[in-house]
Amino acid sequence: MIKNITWILLVLLTCFNIRGYAQVINWGSLENSDHIISAGFEWDYSVSYSLGYAYRINTETPILLRGKFSVPSGENVVDDFKTMVGAEVVVLDHSRIKASISAQAVYRRYENPLVRMMNFGSYFNCAIGYYHSSWFIAGEISFDNAIVSNLKHSESFRQTIFSDVKDGWYQPTNAGNFLYGVQVGYSLGKSDLTLNLNLVTTQDYSTTPLIPYYLRLGYNYRFD
Amino acid sequence: MNVKGLIAVAIAYGALLSCQEELDMSEPGTLVPQTVMEDSSLPSVTLNGTSLHAETYGNPDSNIVIYLHGGPGADYQNGMNVSQLAEEGYYVVFYDQRGTGLSQRHAYEEYSIQLYLDDLSAVIEHYKSDFDQKVFLFGHSWGAMLAAAYINEYPERIDGAIFAEAGGFNKDLLDEYGENSRKIDVLSELTSDLLYYDQFLTGTVDEHELLDYKLAIASSFTYAENNGEGIEGPSPFWRNGAIVLKAFTDVSENEGFDFTTNLGQFQTEVLFIYGENNQSYGLSFAEKEAEFFPQSRIVQIDDTGHEMIHFKWPSVQPVVLEYLNSLK
Repeated sequence: MIKNITWILLVLLTCFNIRGYAQVINWGSLENSDHIISAGFEWDYSVSYSLGYAYRINTETPILLRGKFSVPSGENVVDDFKTMVGAEVVVLDHSRIKASISAQAVYRRYENPLVRMMNFGSYFNCAIGYYHSSWFIAGEISFDNAIVSNLKHSESFRQTIFSDVKDGWYQPTNAGNFLYGVQVGYSLGKSDLTLNLNLVTTQDYSTTPLIPYYLRLGYNYRFD
Repeated sequence: MNVKGLIAVAIAYGALLSCQEELDMSEPGTLVPQTVMEDSSLPSVTLNGTSLHAETYGNPDSNIVIYLHGGPGADYQNGMNVSQLAEEGYYVVFYDQRGTGLSQRHAYEEYSIQLYLDDLSAVIEHYKSDFDQKVFLFGHSWGAMLAAAYINEYPERIDGAIFAEAGGFNKDLLDEYGENSRKIDVLSELTSDLLYYDQFLTGTVDEHELLDYKLAIASSFTYAENNGEGIEGPSPFWRNGAIVLKAFTDVSENEGFDFTTNLGQFQTEVLFIYGENNQSYGLSFAEKEAEFFPQSRIVQIDDTGHEMIHFKWPSVQPVVLEYLNSLK
């Protein structure tokens, strides 16, 4: 498993130099913009706020390097967060019909009065749709895999629940969630307004998260 | 960006991780304690096709008080103060209900209200040694709902009952209690704490250890500052039963339930107790539940909330004892 993580990191980090990113992009309006900054308001397991940046590599086929940082809502802004870095590339470019795939490395953190979790994972996305210069609509499917997590429990956990709980690195057998749905957007000038609507289910489809939806309202600003 | 540098960082990181021994989430004893199926030293009884974590206090020939814990999916550890009734001449029986606490786990499809009633029948049969030995049920929260369900089905088998804040004897009352007790602010840290970790841990329906652990982590939500149920802080438990909670939640949502249809036939006086600080329950809710019985008494326990048995036992005990002694 550790080998898998290393492999994923190597692939993603190697991709950094030649490819790149994964916010919601209107490939039809990208034109000559090299930089995209984005902000999002999301339901990403809970209410979250995100900031992102993407850089387009100067290639014939659009390739983006991307990074995103998000935090869930709450009084303590530093205890929970998620970072994603990776690459996105158009693999089908047939006039206004385009398909893209992205791969990102994920690092996320969570803390409540009972436990602190750190996780390394991966996030893969595939989208195919119709991209006009001023609007787009696409279907998308993603796989969010929490590959390995480090758990450290509080004294409260040990005193009231399980004193012999073991801290350390855990690799769940089934730690992935599928997300599937649509993304739509409207572009005006150098700006895009985007919306993702996704359902979320576990990788064996037997259970769902407590709130099984992913929603994102995003804003992109493109510049040279 | 320098590719070689990044690769070096990745290799160093991989090497760092490789030095760490990975733990197995599915192994009992790592994130959750072992059940009676893995640890034979735990006190247990085997009946009705399952093994239950169970223990008793007092003289086996005395009148029986069976403690029914909350949940569904909690355990009896935070009700252990009830064992002090043994010093007052009662035979106190505790058991973790099927699929939760340290009792045996079963598949989701097996759980039903009737199965839980059959388990309770088997527990009574197991511990009752004399025909004249009286049997009292002492239920907390979901356990009080289960006590009502049992009396509704088998009123002749029970000689008295204590209901400590039953969450609702039928679906309408349960929904009313739920609406009052689970108001959440989606922008709060508390809500994020409850929901955000769903992306870290994902379990299939047969991964009891992982799912039970996930539920345990959510428990801090219940005693957060200014919680509506007036819970003072964390109270101890061994292990949640996530699948049994899901099973009974689905039963409630899909089939509904009504444990009140025959309660009017139970002529013995019953006792309702509630915590002063539980804003979701209170006198009015207790009165609604008490109305199903011909005879009842309602007592407020001051300066506490839903977990009164753990946090305010010195106030609860005299009320319970007076009631039980009146039925001797």
